[in-house]
Amino acid sequence: MAEVRLDNVTKLYGRKTAVNGVSFVCKEGEFLSILGPTGAGKSTILKMIAGIENVTSGQILFNGRVVNDLPPQERNVSMAFETYNLYPHMKVYDNIAFPLRAPRWGLKLSRDKEREKVEEIANFLGIGDLLDRLPQQLSGGQKQRVSLARALVRKPEVFLLDEPIAHLDARLKFTTQTLLKEFATNYHSTIVYVTHDYREALALSDRIIVLRKGRIEQEGSPEEVYYSPASDFVGRLVGEPPMNMIDGELEDGVGGLVFKGGDSIILRVNRDLVRPMQLPPQGQGMRQRARLGIRCEYVKVSRERLSEDAFQLPVYAVVREAESVLFTFQVQEGKLLHARTRDGDVSGCEVGEKLWVEFDRHNMFFFPITTERATRL
Amino acid sequence: MSRVDIDHVWKVYPRANTAAVKDLTFTVNHKEFLVILGPSGGGKSSTLRMLAGLEDITRGEIRFDGKVVNNLGPAERNVALAFESYALYQRLTVYENIAFPLRAKGMKQPEVHRKVTEIAERFALTPVLKKHPSSLAGGQQQRVSLARALVRQPNLTLLDEPISHMDQRVRAEMRALIRHIHDTMGNTTVYVTHDQAEAIALCDRIAIINGGMLQQIGTVAEIWNRPANKFVAFFVGEPAMNFVTGVVQDGRSVVIPTDQGAKVFRIAGEIDGRYVGREITVGVRPQQITVSREEDGENTIPGRVRLIEFRGEITVLTMDLSDAKKTELKVVVPATERYAPGEVLWLRWPSEIIHLFDGEVPVTPQQPG
Repeated sequence: MAEVRLDNVTKLYGRKTAVNGVSFVCKEGEFLSILGPTGAGKSTILKMIAGIENVTSGQILFNGRVVNDLPPQERNVSMAFETYNLYPHMKVYDNIAFPLRAPRWGLKLSRDKEREKVEEIANFLGIGDLLDRLPQQLSGGQKQRVSLARALVRKPEVFLLDEPIAHLDARLKFTTQTLLKEFATNYHSTIVYVTHDYREALALSDRIIVLRKGRIEQEGSPEEVYYSPASDFVGRLVGEPPMNMIDGELEDGVGGLVFKGGDSIILRVNRDLVRPMQLPPQGQGMRQRARLGIRCEYVKVSRERLSEDAFQLPVYAVVREAESVLFTFQVQEGKLLHARTRDGDVSGCEVGEKLWVEFDRHNMFFFPITTERATRL
Repeated sequence: MSRVDIDHVWKVYPRANTAAVKDLTFTVNHKEFLVILGPSGGGKSSTLRMLAGLEDITRGEIRFDGKVVNNLGPAERNVALAFESYALYQRLTVYENIAFPLRAKGMKQPEVHRKVTEIAERFALTPVLKKHPSSLAGGQQQRVSLARALVRQPNLTLLDEPISHMDQRVRAEMRALIRHIHDTMGNTTVYVTHDQAEAIALCDRIAIINGGMLQQIGTVAEIWNRPANKFVAFFVGEPAMNFVTGVVQDGRSVVIPTDQGAKVFRIAGEIDGRYVGREITVGVRPQQITVSREEDGENTIPGRVRLIEFRGEITVLTMDLSDAKKTELKVVVPATERYAPGEVLWLRWPSEIIHLFDGEVPVTPQQPG
């Protein structure tokens, strides 16, 4: 297993910048996820590590050795593509066995040994009974698992997995995710994993890199990314429902710092929670535009006014979860606020009923208002 | 309108010689939001298509407000349909897309305008009425599709997986929107999905269909707490219900054999005497198990942590149970509680969370008194 390092890597397609000065290290044995929405540059990074795409500038190093000029077959990596890339004329067995037969790695396995390895990984991923079929006889989810099995059958220096479980249905996705975690743990593999799904990134990774428009937006452990998002973008990308965002102003008043958003929201704010650059200039009445972020778990809902900072909003919709209830309110035109409550906290509620809403003061975030609208309703 | 009766309905495809829907019977009540949930190929979409009039009914009756609609075409049934794919007219503006079904009915422009602006308001589409669908984000296109389906004020709204593939950032908003529209427009809605979380989110009641047959119909609480069979118990809930083999000891308890002797679990109610001494499947939901680091008496069993998956507010532990079969077991714990792989934990299954199955069939203990 190897350490993978990217040093100020940039990729241009014509004039378009796909990846912009990205640097990170995936340590030996580490599971590193690259998380971002479509078009953020995730797959491009993976392809540059694999050697399928050239690097426009910067360096990629395996164990400290620059590999920029090595062709893909000289880099000891295994890759699973989102598009499967199976050989249509080969049976599932031969597709999975293919990397074991590549002369470059000189494995020269006996037939029995090869079968043992293919069956082991196929059974592990629950596709052991498909080995005699052709790819065209498989569903999308089955093809994706074959593609994953082919990537995992050999032990290279680095595994590169691009949305390897994106096309599985919900139940299978969770079970396969657990299997991948088990695989990574058992073999202590170096894995760079690309996904747009925050749940996969949180569950699988040792560390996460959040990518936005070709740049790193945040780098940290799953807990850091979830509990301390570096920006409104990260807050909305991670979590379901995404972190609530309310645009407004921070104001220095007589009683201390206050956030005002929309017509109905006025909140006292702990100064310690606001990053210095987000604070309004010193002096009474001074203001600074800010976007308040708060996760739905920290929005309290009740029929009675529980504190001075509570405000009233009409219920827009009530949506259930297995053991909790999500209340949704319309805060500003086209902007919704979600609140997660335990079952039965506020029962028998009708759409349009006004409820008291309160934010947990210790779990509010304040971000600069970015130009890209956080919510597209 | 709005009550829908599906009465002993069959759908047989003669060429394939298979019955996609078998003797399906249930009622959708006035103003109800009913979700049809099931795995793909289970008969959900055939049912929806028969409701819409897009598919013949092989046998049985579908009635809208008591009136048989078997032989009515889609237009005569006045149902609104929205599919997963948006199918918007790319050359028309958003306004004209929404106005289309009204113009098709020959409605005059002043009334068309009133209806389009009103529904656009509800769906937060007012600012984009003059745009073309291709310039809109996926969530917006889906809203145009829904607005177009609902602008005619149909008797019945039929939705086929309209949001299951959307980005998580818009999914929560779409769910809220669909439920808001249902509640404020007073429609009867039938919604088809394979996603149990989606079903739980939106429904008043869920009808679970598998193999063309109705497995259970009920509220979330009913399905969660009293699943009609093992399939339903496993299908609804993520992570899914755990199943462990036990033996009925007497009318009030089951035992699970482990390396450290048999663990006794008290059951709420009384199990029928004929099960005593027999093997039985014990089902417990990962969300309802509580964990402790110390041995904790009755209704507990130890297990070893194998994997830990962080999911935000919660953490999912995959454990090897200490029973004879070393069953893999999932447990959901709050993310604030930290555990390490290899650690041994005592799992508590209070009697009220224990489900028992004899094969597929639930064994319902008689409540005392």
